[in-house]
Amino acid sequence: MSATILITDDTVFMRTSLKNILNANGFDNVVEASNGQEAVGQYALHKPSVVLMDITMPVMDGISAVKMIRQMDPQAKIIMCSAMGQRNMVMDAVQAGAKDFIVKPFQADRVVESVRKLLGAEAA
Amino acid sequence: MDARVINPFITVCFSILETILGEVPQRGTPAAQAADCTCHQVNVMVGFTGALTGNVIYGMPLTTADKIASIMIGTPVRTFDSMAASAIAELANMISGNVLMELSSIGLECDMTPPTIVRGRNVKMSTLDIPAIAIPFTTNVGELTVVVGVHPMIK
Repeated sequence: MSATILITDDTVFMRTSLKNILNANGFDNVVEASNGQEAVGQYALHKPSVVLMDITMPVMDGISAVKMIRQMDPQAKIIMCSAMGQRNMVMDAVQAGAKDFIVKPFQADRVVESVRKLLGAEAA
Repeated sequence: MDARVINPFITVCFSILETILGEVPQRGTPAAQAADCTCHQVNVMVGFTGALTGNVIYGMPLTTADKIASIMIGTPVRTFDSMAASAIAELANMISGNVLMELSSIGLECDMTPPTIVRGRNVKMSTLDIPAIAIPFTTNVGELTVVVGVHPMIK
C-alpha cells in the first residue's frame, strides 16, 4: 500500500509498536514524530494520508498539533491515540478536527481498522 | 485519602496489568507511606494537576521492569535500555491516563504530565508534604508498587 502514515508519540516504544502494527498490515510508508511540533513539520513535508497522534507530549501537545495541521490542511485525517480518554478530552480532539479516538492500551486490530476506515473515506 | 481517589488506581491496575501480562495480579494491602520514601530500582513518576494535584510513582525491581518490558516489546530485554525504559514509561502513562478517565467520571477532572523514569538503588523520591498511599501488586513477573500521593486542589 502506498499510503503514508505519520505516527506521533513521545515514547519510542509506542512509535515502534504502532510502526510494527502498520508494517505487519501492509502499510510500509511510515514516518515518525516525537512531539506535536515535529508532527506539524513532518505533515508539511510528507503530506501523510493518515496521522496517529498522542495527546500528552513535551514541546507541543497533540490537540495543539491537530489544530495546526488542520489549519494547514482542512482535509487532514487524524486519529488520536492516547491513554487519556476523558469525555472532555475526546470532545476537544473532535472539535480540533480528529476523526477517531483510540484509547491505550489498544488492540492492533483497532488501529488497523481505524486507519483503513479513514483511507477508505479518502478513496471514496 | 479518599477511597474515590484510590479505587480507580486499583481497578485500572488490575485491568491494564491483566491486559498486558495476561494474568490477573494479586493486590496487597494499601498502606500509608512516609512522604519521603525509598523506592525501587526502577520508578516512573507521573504528575497530576487539576482537581487533584501531586505525584504517582510506579516502582518495581529491575527484574520486574525487564520482564514487563519484554512482554510489551515482544522480544526479551537483556539490559534495561532506552526501549525498555520507554515501554515501562508507557505502562505508567496508560495506567495514569485510564485513571484520569475514571476520576473524570466522578467529576474529578485532572491532567497529567509525561512520565519521568528514575533509576537506581536507594533513590529517595518524595511526594513532598502530600500524604501517600502505597498499593502493592504481585504479578506473574514480580512486584509492582503504586504510590499515590495526590490531594484535592484547593482553589
